Amino acid sequence: MDKLLDLWLASGIYNISLGQFVMIVVGLLLLYLAIRKNFEPLLLVPIGFGGIMANIPEAGLAFSAVENAVHFATPELLAGFAAVLGITSVDPHDVLHAYHTSSASVHAATTLFANDNNFNNGMLYNFYTVAIASGAAPLIIFMGVGAMTDFGPLLANPKTLFLGAAAQFGIFATVLGAVGLTSMGLMDFSIQDAAAIGIIGGADGPTAIYVASLLSPQLLGAIAVAAYSYMALVPLIQPPIMRALTTEAERKIQMVQLRHISKLEKILFPLSLLILVAMLLPDAAPLLGMFCFGNLMRECGVVDRLSDTAQNALINIVTIFLGLSVGSKLSADKFLDMQTLGILVLGIVAFGIGTAMGILMAKFMNKLAGGNSINPLIGSAGVSAVPMAARVSNKLGLEANSQNFLLMHAMGPNVAGVIGSAVAAGVMIKFVG
Amino acid sequence: MDNLLSEGLTLMVFGMGFVFTFLTLLVGVTTMMSKLVVKFEPAPQPKAAPTRSALPAVAQGGSDELVAVITAAVHKYRS
Repeated sequence: MDKLLDLWLASGIYNISLGQFVMIVVGLLLLYLAIRKNFEPLLLVPIGFGGIMANIPEAGLAFSAVENAVHFATPELLAGFAAVLGITSVDPHDVLHAYHTSSASVHAATTLFANDNNFNNGMLYNFYTVAIASGAAPLIIFMGVGAMTDFGPLLANPKTLFLGAAAQFGIFATVLGAVGLTSMGLMDFSIQDAAAIGIIGGADGPTAIYVASLLSPQLLGAIAVAAYSYMALVPLIQPPIMRALTTEAERKIQMVQLRHISKLEKILFPLSLLILVAMLLPDAAPLLGMFCFGNLMRECGVVDRLSDTAQNALINIVTIFLGLSVGSKLSADKFLDMQTLGILVLGIVAFGIGTAMGILMAKFMNKLAGGNSINPLIGSAGVSAVPMAARVSNKLGLEANSQNFLLMHAMGPNVAGVIGSAVAAGVMIKFVG
Repeated sequence: MDNLLSEGLTLMVFGMGFVFTFLTLLVGVTTMMSKLVVKFEPAPQPKAAPTRSALPAVAQGGSDELVAVITAAVHKYRS
């Protein structure tokens, strides 16, 4: 009978908390959206599944060795932790608080003490440490994105870089929105949190995760989920804004065909970009450096094997671990609060403002160029979200004029948006990091 | 609180300013790079030139013998 009782006391049903239950439902919802509705399935499947695993009661997959040890600890063990951390209280919350705020050396000592008592990091916690806390996964993905990107349309019409710049206004407007909400007492975001939330407006998953992991790791789960969900919703969010800001006549504007770009230009572009980053904004060097490296592998033509690996096998492997690691941040105590709601609302606002500013900039450039050469619809592609945003521009262009193929023209601002949001990320890291 | 708001405002002004400056410079650098490349390596012409000179060369210098062989082959094929 005792054995049966032990089994019951160790079961998930006995131990599950309401928060964990809700988060498992959230994980299932993400899986539903990915599988049934096809929302960014490549990321939401691993994220949703990781979220469910992170909330399995008593398994502690998303927790560090110390967190797991404190969860199961006997009073003697807690006293031991308190001694290592140099505090007098043996309350589990105080111990964890001291652990999270401790210096690196004490942190390591505490972890070793937990290891001595046969407690280990959860599997997802290890994935998170290797993939995201080290910064590796978002950067490797960025390299793969670089290897997949064709800068031809951008090189043919370099002025489209301005559209990519204008769309980044959404990022900074959202930062202001987040600190505004804090000033009004509605939310509690630090300037670092605000910067990390703003990056959602860049519509670039890896950039958002990279910035969040540096500036505000505790919000990473919510930020990544918001970024990827909104990227999947680009075809729903953007068109109403695009229609509202353009006239029928403007949407009908046909653009002249792009000039041919030589191979040498394509090889020199990533190198010029890298040198410009090195000279002006070293803080954006990890992101843009990997991006340029991936692109150079693609364009130089002598390392096709490497380029092929970067844009296929490697990016797929890393995506699996990135997704599971983000899922590990969907634990109930971190995800279920008002801040997540605030992040979801601010994220969509960031997206809308970015889209609107891109279009307004395109309208302005069109006026400057005489009024009949730049279709303002390509402006919305300035938020990155490659290639979804460009496809939306193309679709709306075709609706207005069935001979109007904007896809290649919109790819210019689209990849400009990737560069723009990486630059914005560098500025954020520089100023508030 | 006001401190935080002014920090946000500074970040916005500086950030947006920097993004625009950087991308403006990139436009400049890219345009310049493209001009230089087009100037020093005019890509389309070398490709076009050989094809134009190659065709007449065959027509003029093509040996009568070759023409005869081809004609014979065509006749054989048709008959």
